[in-house]
Amino acid sequence: MKKYKKYVVAAALLIISFGYIFISNETGVARIFVNLLTFAGIYGLAAIGINVHFGWTGLLNFGHAAFMGIGAYTTILLIPHALGREGVVVENGLPLPLAVILGMLAAALLGLLLGLPTLRLRGDYLAIVTIAAAEIFRLLIRDFEDITGGVYGVIQFSDSLQNMRPNFITNLATSIDVSSSQLWVGIITWTLIICVLIILSRLQKSPWGRALRAVREDEDAVRALGKNAVWLKLQSFMLGASIGGLSGILLAFNYGTLQSSTFVPVLTFYIWAALILGGVGSLGGPALGAVIFWVIISGTDSLAEFFFDNANGQQLAGVRFVFVGILIMFTMIFTPSGILGKKEELLLEIK
Amino acid sequence: MIEQLGNGLLLGLIVAIASVSLSLLYGVTRIVNFAHGEIIALGAVLALFFSSSPSSNFLYLDRYSPLGSSFIVSSIVSIFLCGIFGAILELCLFRPLRRYNYGNVAVLVITIGLSIFLRHVYLLFASARPASYPLDLQKRQDYFGVQLTPRNVQVLIIGSLVMILVGLFLSYTKTGKAMRAVRDSSELASVSGINSDYIITLTWIFSSMLAGFTGIIQGVINNVRWNMGFLILLLIFAGSILGGIGTSFGAMFGGFIIGMLVQLSVGLSFMDGHTEAKNAIALALMIIILLIRPQGIFGSKERIS
Repeated sequence: MKKYKKYVVAAALLIISFGYIFISNETGVARIFVNLLTFAGIYGLAAIGINVHFGWTGLLNFGHAAFMGIGAYTTILLIPHALGREGVVVENGLPLPLAVILGMLAAALLGLLLGLPTLRLRGDYLAIVTIAAAEIFRLLIRDFEDITGGVYGVIQFSDSLQNMRPNFITNLATSIDVSSSQLWVGIITWTLIICVLIILSRLQKSPWGRALRAVREDEDAVRALGKNAVWLKLQSFMLGASIGGLSGILLAFNYGTLQSSTFVPVLTFYIWAALILGGVGSLGGPALGAVIFWVIISGTDSLAEFFFDNANGQQLAGVRFVFVGILIMFTMIFTPSGILGKKEELLLEIK
Repeated sequence: MIEQLGNGLLLGLIVAIASVSLSLLYGVTRIVNFAHGEIIALGAVLALFFSSSPSSNFLYLDRYSPLGSSFIVSSIVSIFLCGIFGAILELCLFRPLRRYNYGNVAVLVITIGLSIFLRHVYLLFASARPASYPLDLQKRQDYFGVQLTPRNVQVLIIGSLVMILVGLFLSYTKTGKAMRAVRDSSELASVSGINSDYIITLTWIFSSMLAGFTGIIQGVINNVRWNMGFLILLLIFAGSILGGIGTSFGAMFGGFIIGMLVQLSVGLSFMDGHTEAKNAIALALMIIILLIRPQGIFGSKERIS
């Protein structure tokens, strides 16, 4: 019975969360659900990427926004789009699947570049370097307007994905009165999550996955057994980064525009909050954590309305992030293994 | 490039003092404190709160100026309040975490949560726009070829004095020596009769007061923003790593170099129109240093792997 206890808790939390959404919204529940689940799916996928880093291998990556960003920018700039202040239209481009693969490869390459100097060092250095690299990336994206569109960003790229939308999705969206493009992005996101989780569960049980966990537990023992610990860490870093890149691409398609301001450091902290909440090291934990995290976030908006009359955007964001901070602190203090994680699988001490 | 020298000196000083406080805290407590930037911002915000006139709209709170709007008195009170805040953090959060043997990764994540929490508390009480202290505007003058306002010169002198005092404190006083002893080995320090809990609390107070001081001079030179702590935190990390994280004088030196470099790079020709990228240069330098000399310029090797 004890074995299933955490799944019962997870199911109960999901039911309470969805019940809350139903009760607190009188109209447009379907629309809110699709919006929430799409965002939660994208953040969940990103959290799965960090989980490969932190949960499996014990690497502290606080620059996930950079991996998401480079994946998104590579892919979007390779497909037809319009760029920058004047909206210069680029009509020719690669087919979307190829561009997505190149985007994920670009993220993996950035992982390799960042990993090479830092993975030989102690873990807290990696945390600082990744957060710095994410800021460098964002500042460069913002400053080099000719290539990336700068603060004006990239627009009109959604068609590449939306043209693939089958008719029955469009009909379904009209019948339940939700945005058909977002429904399509959401369905793709959750399909990809399932695919990624199936691949990861195979990898986790493979000798390679066991070696990764051995790196997390005792690096010296791995070395003594003749494995190259740094190369294993690099592989894990690249794998997680490419999953992050994929989620960044989906995030861009969900917004419909691509801007440097999307990839600010708080994006990474959002994803960490979802990961810790769901359970570090567990397979489905990050996705579950992301769903519950988004319900809590949507709940803070009504809390802001309670504290401030006609709360403005600044107050909404303030209350929201105050809660994200409290959530990260309290989860880490009281239940560091989250909802689905295992205590003995969690790396809490870097030697 | 030479016209940026004055700004470079000022930013170098700010990052140097902040790097010492961060590095000392890291050395003694082994905490990579991501909330350190928020303590810096706390100093700046509190000084603004005590000294600003009721007409400024930085704070939504009903303003009162119990200190008669004297900026110097407000600053000193704010620095002491920062010290008290540091003590509260140690006593209510970090000491219990140490008691229950929370690992350093858990503590690192908790400081990130704390930093997000504090930063947005400031946002809730302050406007998103930058604000300035109620000080009169001054013109820049020429001091030995460097363009500075008279107030900037005062800040430079006071800041340098504080750095010298910090150096003397760490080198010659009993408490300073005890801090360095705990930093080098807490077990050996305990064996020698040093109460390490007491020293750690003192370090929190000392480091937070220094951070508050940094925030105030940053606010005087530029302005006060709710997110100023995070903006400067990455430069502080870069400075500490450049000099050697855990060292005091190395961090001072590294911080100064980083601050100078960030401002001087504004004058480079290929940086034209890319003002935001100046911070990227400092962070890139940090990554390069980690590549070739990971322990920093003055660090010792055993700290890193």
